[in-house]
Amino acid sequence: MTTTNATTIPPATPSSGRTRGGVARGLLPPAVTGQEWVLIGVLAILWVVLSLTTPAFASSGSIQPLLSAVAPIALMGVGMTMIIITGGIDISVAGVLMVTGVTSAKMLVDHDASLLVAVLVSVALGGLLGLVNGLLIAYGRVHAIIITFGTANLFQFVGRQIFASKTVNGIPSTLDVFGRGEAGRTLGVPHSFVLMAVVVAIAWWYLRHVQHGRHLFAIGGDPVAARLAGVNVERRVLMTYVLTGLLVGMAAVFIVASGTSTLDQSIGSGRELAVIAAVVIGGTSITGGRGSVLGTVFGALLVQTVASGVTQLGWPSELSDLFVGVAIAIAVGADLIRKWARERA
Amino acid sequence: MSIPDSVPTTPDPVDLPDSGTARLHLQGISKRYGGVRAIKKADITVRPGTVHAIVGENGAGKSTLIKIISGAESADTGEIFFEGAPITLSSAIDAMAFGIQTVYQEPQLFAELTVSENIFIGREITSGTRVDWLAQNAKVIELLTMLGLPASYATKTVGSLSIAQQQQVSIAKALAGNAKILILDEPSAILTDSEIDVLFNIVRRLTKTGVSVIYISHRLDELFKLCQEVTVMRDGETLGTWPIQDLSIRRVIELMVGEALVEARTERTFPEGDPRLALEGLTLEGQFHDVNVSVRPGEVVGLYGLVGSGVAEIAEAVYGMRRPTGGRILLDGTVVEPRSPRAAQSLGIGMLPADRKAQGMFSFQPIAFNISIGHLSLLSKARTWIDRRQESIVARQMISRLSIKTPSERQPVAAMSGGNAQKVVLARETVERPPVLILAEPTHGVDVGAKDEIHRIVGELAHEGTAVLVVTSDVAEAIRICDRLYVIRAGTTTVEFGPDAKQADVLAAASGDDSDLSAHVREVS
Amino acid sequence: MTMTPHKAHVANLPRAEEPSLVSRVVKAVLTQRIVLLAALLVIVLIWMSALGMGGYLTGSYDPDYLAGSLIDAVPMCMLALAELVVIVSGRGGIDLSIGAIVSLTGMIFGFAYGRWGWTFWLSVLLAVVVGGLLGAINGALVAYMRFPALIATLASYYAFKSLALVITNSIPISDANVTKLYGITRSIEIPVIGSQLPNVPIGVFTFMVPSVVVIWLVLARTTYGRRLFAIGTNDVAAEWTGLNVRSTRFVAYVIAGVIAGLASVYITGQFASARPDAGTSGNGLALPAITIAVLGGVAITGGIGRVAGVVLATLLVTWLDAGILLAFTGNDGTQFQLLALGLVLIFAALLNGLTQRRYGGSR
Repeated sequence: MTTTNATTIPPATPSSGRTRGGVARGLLPPAVTGQEWVLIGVLAILWVVLSLTTPAFASSGSIQPLLSAVAPIALMGVGMTMIIITGGIDISVAGVLMVTGVTSAKMLVDHDASLLVAVLVSVALGGLLGLVNGLLIAYGRVHAIIITFGTANLFQFVGRQIFASKTVNGIPSTLDVFGRGEAGRTLGVPHSFVLMAVVVAIAWWYLRHVQHGRHLFAIGGDPVAARLAGVNVERRVLMTYVLTGLLVGMAAVFIVASGTSTLDQSIGSGRELAVIAAVVIGGTSITGGRGSVLGTVFGALLVQTVASGVTQLGWPSELSDLFVGVAIAIAVGADLIRKWARERA
Repeated sequence: MSIPDSVPTTPDPVDLPDSGTARLHLQGISKRYGGVRAIKKADITVRPGTVHAIVGENGAGKSTLIKIISGAESADTGEIFFEGAPITLSSAIDAMAFGIQTVYQEPQLFAELTVSENIFIGREITSGTRVDWLAQNAKVIELLTMLGLPASYATKTVGSLSIAQQQQVSIAKALAGNAKILILDEPSAILTDSEIDVLFNIVRRLTKTGVSVIYISHRLDELFKLCQEVTVMRDGETLGTWPIQDLSIRRVIELMVGEALVEARTERTFPEGDPRLALEGLTLEGQFHDVNVSVRPGEVVGLYGLVGSGVAEIAEAVYGMRRPTGGRILLDGTVVEPRSPRAAQSLGIGMLPADRKAQGMFSFQPIAFNISIGHLSLLSKARTWIDRRQESIVARQMISRLSIKTPSERQPVAAMSGGNAQKVVLARETVERPPVLILAEPTHGVDVGAKDEIHRIVGELAHEGTAVLVVTSDVAEAIRICDRLYVIRAGTTTVEFGPDAKQADVLAAASGDDSDLSAHVREVS
Repeated sequence: MTMTPHKAHVANLPRAEEPSLVSRVVKAVLTQRIVLLAALLVIVLIWMSALGMGGYLTGSYDPDYLAGSLIDAVPMCMLALAELVVIVSGRGGIDLSIGAIVSLTGMIFGFAYGRWGWTFWLSVLLAVVVGGLLGAINGALVAYMRFPALIATLASYYAFKSLALVITNSIPISDANVTKLYGITRSIEIPVIGSQLPNVPIGVFTFMVPSVVVIWLVLARTTYGRRLFAIGTNDVAAEWTGLNVRSTRFVAYVIAGVIAGLASVYITGQFASARPDAGTSGNGLALPAITIAVLGGVAITGGIGRVAGVVLATLLVTWLDAGILLAFTGNDGTQFQLLALGLVLIFAALLNGLTQRRYGGSR
């Protein structure tokens, strides 16, 4: 038998920058997974059907609000996807949204803050609240769902304190660049959607090609083995919550910008579940170890398309949640069936 | 050849090479868990580029020794030298830093990541923050080629590979960490014969590159195909190290067993009559085939086989956890097909599961709960209301009958020792005296005192008419408590031993060396 | 038959198993939560009363006030009991849809009682049956199709919430019959001994106490309760023991639905109308119910949880909230209630983690 006669592992052939991009494509599982193709297909069918049945659907007056509505959910979904990939969850998103939203609105109204300051304050504050979650979860070693149930209450308290039991009125148009109006679009595409797309692209790259991003999957798959392999589990987990906080802070800006000049206390309500729904429909496994931000974007798009479609068809808007529920059940059910099939085989 | 009463004249152990030239040298290692001394005194020297086997019976201290070498546990006394220099190993990460890598039976891999990523997890080749997939894959492919594995593995997700392939990936992963010592803990137990050949080729290739392999296996025939040196352990001590040429399967067994085994068995009458439980040609594709076993009322029958021989699966099939694909299960002459443990129980088959913690215990629930949970219709009024008085009475009866050491039946079992917890689970299975009782590894992880008591209880159960089927990988136990013993090898019943079975014969039969079985052994047709 | 020879006296028995410190610690861990909650409850009552007597509160924190505040405790306690049952069933058991079930069954009850002219009892029966059916949908997804409970009930949360709104075009049912139901929240004097005691909301006796007693009986005294705790503690061992794991888990979700159906009747009375968003507006009812259950010592990993803990947690939260409401003017009180709930929950969870690590490490 002839074998390599090396005493250690042979050195790698140096990678060449020229071919990197092309070759690297084959080295990882496909960029778009089966579930994402299904979602793309479903979205395409929905869009075609809706365009044919309701002429208004395909109009820019319908598509633009849809994209504006998708942006904050998908943006928060990016962070939530990473958290869920590590096996965690964040129920406190609504609370963070409330605190950051009302703070930036107040900054605009009371202190006449500039766009940059309002965005920075909102994002930084979101990151801080995410840090609170992250520290408690990573180092307190309590299940994420319980901790974030608790911090959800705390953050809502903080948010309402800042609201001081009132609505914030007379929000100036400083944030219009992220709003629904003409100022919020370039070539017809909402800026918020573009920014979201950029963040998604970076996150997609991070989760696919960056060492720390890959470690998130390992943590969700088997945290003990990941620690043994030298992954700094606590730090990675902490970072996912901080990142989610930052992104929620940005999403809050989008939501304030696309609302009226009045902000009330319902800014966050129910959004935590909407974000989780988008992530889950997108094929991220709630038990951790598998998921993609691309799927989350499609999930958010599907939810908003259904909502928009229901309105366009003249059905009661409340009906859209029924379809969301069914979509979650089908998306996860299909995944479970695939798993059974694989185990049987 | 008959079994001598003392250790035969085996050549003296080889002289330990000077510790300066050894890759790893352990001296005077001991380890105690609570009151139990797992290792009393262990010395071992592993030379570069060799496959070094450690053999011994269950409980001889092999796994503790491995844990100490791999850093998972630290020794109480003794010294460890690595390439001549004394070292301390306080964690698995310490050991890895010295190039001591362990491949456990259960692959510790990430199913959703590719093979390439699994191999480099935690030490990725990066350019900047980005993983350099090209460089990493190139290395992985060279590694796979060196091991004689297909390069196409590199980009597959681990979840899509078979168990055997995952094990190969685990080995590759260990090597990528610049392994100098690779510990393989019963790697063949989960593999088929052809997969084992692949494994051996990999190991042989490895040693040629200078890696030392520490190989743990119960399948003694393998040692002669693969290993250069064998260290034998018995009762927490290393007896010595021999070159493989100086040994035979039988000699290894004799060393492992020692002289301790000649236990007086008093004469007894064996139950006659029709079997209560009979397995006729029982088959489950891929697990076992043509299994023929019969157990009469009042008889204790053993099924002995190594891990991976299919013996555990046979018991599970009888208990309704697995669906056989062929053959019949007869209960008092009637064909039965238990489809679930529930169904098996209603037929009168009870089972003590092998993995006490995962399959047997409701750990933070009280003893009474753990016992009554198997008998809710018996211990309730109108099958709805728990009869708490009756529950306590039964629990206390079982506590005293099985000598369970506890102040009260309200204690949770989580805090109990292995032996006591095992007795609680056993108590649950014996409350209603099922006509057939299957005991899987009844004394695994149980201290000596409790082991004796559990053996006594098994004898009493049989005496009172229960047909007991003991599934065990502890040969001493099998011989001690069983009236008859079937050896399972390669998924089927091979030979059957009578009450006067010799340990060495049983071990030889299970390891694939049935060349010189003693006269009392019958071939199972 | 011959017995295997064994030594009569085993010389080196490791550690005798007398009532060890370990088992006492374990017992303490299992009971501690109730002791802790009781102590906290006493502290809150004394502290608030002291504040009241010192004139720091805007109203009097007296027995009458405390008894009156139980109006809100009734549905919270019932829904927390529902969560107790599903969380104890293990494998990540949780019911996010409980508030949505309240909304939907409340509407159906409203239709039956307010519009279709059904009798009260028949309508209540309908609400309970519908609640059970909705719970059965969750149970089928979780127990038989092996959905993670979080996802199954997130999906059904959306579906039920939507249906509740759609079937009435989002308009509450406030027919005369339904409005009169407000009577079920009135306070009554307890017979015989009641003259010395404050009047207690009748819902405590008609809804809360029966639910508490029934759930306690089911969990602590029936074979079903035993099976439930068994599957929650270790569902592999439960399977090996011959229990029907799936049907047991399924029934847990049905029970939760039934309780939610019953609670919806009370909540309809509280609002004096059947509101389609009764259980889902704002934060909904599911999150507070889960919070109270966890505070009451229910382990999110299953197999651990007691009715007494949930009742104490409900009382603690109710009376703490009631005190906080008096401590602040205007709407501030409700905000500080959130703060208090959040802090208490995180504190309890960290404590749980600590004791569990200690308890896990002692083995």
